[in-house]
Amino acid sequence: MSIGAPRLPWMSASLLALLCFAANAVQAAEAPDGQALVRTYCSGCHLEHDGVFERISSIRKTPEGWTMTLFRMHNVHGLALPEEASDAITRYLADTQGLAPSETAPSRFALERRPNAKDLDLGPDLAQMCGRCHSLARVALQRRDADDWLKHMHFHVGQFPSLEYQASGRDRPWWDIATKELPPKLGALFPLHTQAWSDWNGRTHREPTGHWVVVGHEPGGRDLVGTADIASDGKGGYTARYRLRDTAGRDVAGDSHALLYTGYEWRGRGALGGVASREVFALSEDGVRMSGRWFDPEHSEDGGDWTAVRADAPAQVVAVLPRAMKAGASGTVTIVATGVGPASSVSLGTGVTAKVVLADDGVIQAVAEVAADATTGTRTVSVGPAAGTGAFAVYRKIDQVDVQPSYAIARVGGGKVPPVTAQFEALASARDAAGVLVPLGPVPAEWSTAPFDAEAARTHDEKFGGSLDAAGRYHPAGAGPNPVREFSGNNTANLKVHARVADGASRLDGESHLIVTVQRWITTPIY
Amino acid sequence: MHMTKLRALAFALSAVAGLAVAATVRAGDLLVTGAKPDRLYVIDAEKRAVKSEFRIPGANGIVGAIIPSPDGKVAYVVVNKMESISGIDLKTGKEVFRADLSKPGERVKNFFALDVTSDGKELIVYELPTLLKPSEYQVEDPRFAVFKTNAGLHAKVSRSFPAPRRLHMILMRPGGKTFYAIGFDLYEYETATGKLVGTHGIQKWQLPAHSQPDLLAFWPVTEPTGVFTSPVISEATAGGAAALKTGMMVLDVRAGTLEFNDFEDTSALIFSTVLSPDRKFAYGVYSTLTKVDMASHTLAKRVPVDHTFYSINVATDGHEVYIAGAMCDVGFYDPTSLERRANLKLPGCGDQSLASLRVIPAR
Repeated sequence: MSIGAPRLPWMSASLLALLCFAANAVQAAEAPDGQALVRTYCSGCHLEHDGVFERISSIRKTPEGWTMTLFRMHNVHGLALPEEASDAITRYLADTQGLAPSETAPSRFALERRPNAKDLDLGPDLAQMCGRCHSLARVALQRRDADDWLKHMHFHVGQFPSLEYQASGRDRPWWDIATKELPPKLGALFPLHTQAWSDWNGRTHREPTGHWVVVGHEPGGRDLVGTADIASDGKGGYTARYRLRDTAGRDVAGDSHALLYTGYEWRGRGALGGVASREVFALSEDGVRMSGRWFDPEHSEDGGDWTAVRADAPAQVVAVLPRAMKAGASGTVTIVATGVGPASSVSLGTGVTAKVVLADDGVIQAVAEVAADATTGTRTVSVGPAAGTGAFAVYRKIDQVDVQPSYAIARVGGGKVPPVTAQFEALASARDAAGVLVPLGPVPAEWSTAPFDAEAARTHDEKFGGSLDAAGRYHPAGAGPNPVREFSGNNTANLKVHARVADGASRLDGESHLIVTVQRWITTPIY
Repeated sequence: MHMTKLRALAFALSAVAGLAVAATVRAGDLLVTGAKPDRLYVIDAEKRAVKSEFRIPGANGIVGAIIPSPDGKVAYVVVNKMESISGIDLKTGKEVFRADLSKPGERVKNFFALDVTSDGKELIVYELPTLLKPSEYQVEDPRFAVFKTNAGLHAKVSRSFPAPRRLHMILMRPGGKTFYAIGFDLYEYETATGKLVGTHGIQKWQLPAHSQPDLLAFWPVTEPTGVFTSPVISEATAGGAAALKTGMMVLDVRAGTLEFNDFEDTSALIFSTVLSPDRKFAYGVYSTLTKVDMASHTLAKRVPVDHTFYSINVATDGHEVYIAGAMCDVGFYDPTSLERRANLKLPGCGDQSLASLRVIPAR
């Protein structure tokens, strides 16, 4: 089963690709191990010399990176590649020519398809030469030496000759920079051979099978807590079964089928609470923690943060929900922890009394009461032998509201490309005695929009751009020329997004900036 | 392929319905534009009606630059994802010339930089070649390729010579001995030998207290004056504060003079411009129609248009301004008031996109 690859109908083969493929097509029916498949499907063009394939052996990529390469070989060069072979080649190449966990760490936002993520800062030269078309994470998630980065530049102009004519291309000797300055620079930044990869590739990695405790958070939506059971499917993949509960106490069941690439890259397909989901998680190097993001396959902006810790890991507090309570308040607190027995004692720190009412498989519920004179600050939470600092705070009043993301993009939708919504979240914080801001987590808010500036007011951006719902999600309007708008303009907009948060009788405001822009016509696994 | 007479009549009627028909009938110009996926339209400018709708064989989705032959009989059109030049007879719609630039193992793109010699016998085409090797691409140096226009449907390069990167315009000079090429700078080459005979500053221009200018001209219009114009944007740094300025590049292809003059603090985007026959005004278009006073270098008038248009042209006698490109209509505007007189929707309503809008004078 394919995990990461988008599928397109077979297209007519170019003569070149047909010839390349024909050279080895006869072997296609034989043993489907990875290297043999590369030999069968790729070596007609990428000639093999003593087990080294031209170009292919000079590159390391993520599973998504190899998926994109194979998609291009099919879509542009007409390579007829059966789905099973494509999946097996992706897996083989990601396993044998992948990136180490430390190499993908700065760029995981791109693999996880996080909306409104801030791209890597690799300096103005690379931002303009590369980052004006795609994320710099896409660059940083590949490893080549300078000679292959040079070939990559030739590919770019051969495939996209308009590069030299576009804004930020035509103002400089683009080709000279791309061929003389960038290859050594990229070869030094992202070389083929690294200690990190040889260390990781030489190690045995822990299987993800076992019992896990799980915490999930959907921005603007639910928190989920519960457990996951992961088992081998007997065919090199894994099945996961989720038993979760949301903030409102409703059961949320889910399951997934996943492949583990490169010893740590979990890519799953399944459903959560009856909604289709994709999972892009990474196992920690010691194999005891899995973190990442799940999302709707059709709307990658819809999803949440996922953390799972092995239930048999050393005792630790993984999460506390809610993340903060107000002085004088009382209520139920849920603690997710490992290494905790069924009748554990609980402490939520100074000024808070708490009593366990339920302890079930790593999810502990306690009734808590915060003293009226409790001081603002983070608390150390302990449950039995498990303890953690920073996951829970007490506050006297909210001092600040920040809207996240502070700068967001939504896209109008219609036709073949659905709209891209933008989800906002109001995050509260309070100042402790030392004046330090203590994060209190997401809080409910009244949401509204306003024109960002006078020009946005003049062009009625609020009216045309779309609407913001009560949960802080902006739903953009339909795409295409709008005949009732000036110049028949698209329903783009430049808006302020306001959150008003009630704290007792006080009202606190937070603000963000939203751009509603045009559709993205090419949706790639890594932008 | 011709439309049937009936269809042509129907389109003509629909085009004039509800419009004030021009009061005086002139010996009108013909307008030529193209549209996706493979259409070439000849429009009777006075009747404001489609005269002919042709299909360009092997257009492969998009119709780009349009270069009329000096006698106005043939239009050379960049098609096939910028890999082919198709010459279409404007009376019959028949393809009379075809140069497929790519060949097995080498893909060649033309970025709308081409022109025909003033005797109509040769076509100079800017080529951006890439070798398609089995496991890698290899970008080659660009070149000018010369084709004989009588070479028929399988035209081969008759000679070629080296060219700089990033050209987007070729303009033949009268007499055909040399041609201009616009890219990083304005270059002049001998047509016969490809020898570089002159370079004038564009990117390396010497306008005091201005940043490097930005110019991207894909609309090869020199009619009716023999002068090519293009909007230019730069940052003026006089007085310490940087301010974006829009100016006009004015290249008199006949006289060989090149001028740049700012006319406003940038307040609207302009894609393409054309000079009026008396050279007193330039007209530019994108989401507004702009009129520039070329004597005082000032913005004379600006009106919004109902959507973005990329290409602009003017009647040979200056009595009307035409806007096209982007979507599927052609607008007819009063050159003084900039009021819209008429709008012609192209049959089939394919996007004109980057297609040139050319005026062929009545003969």
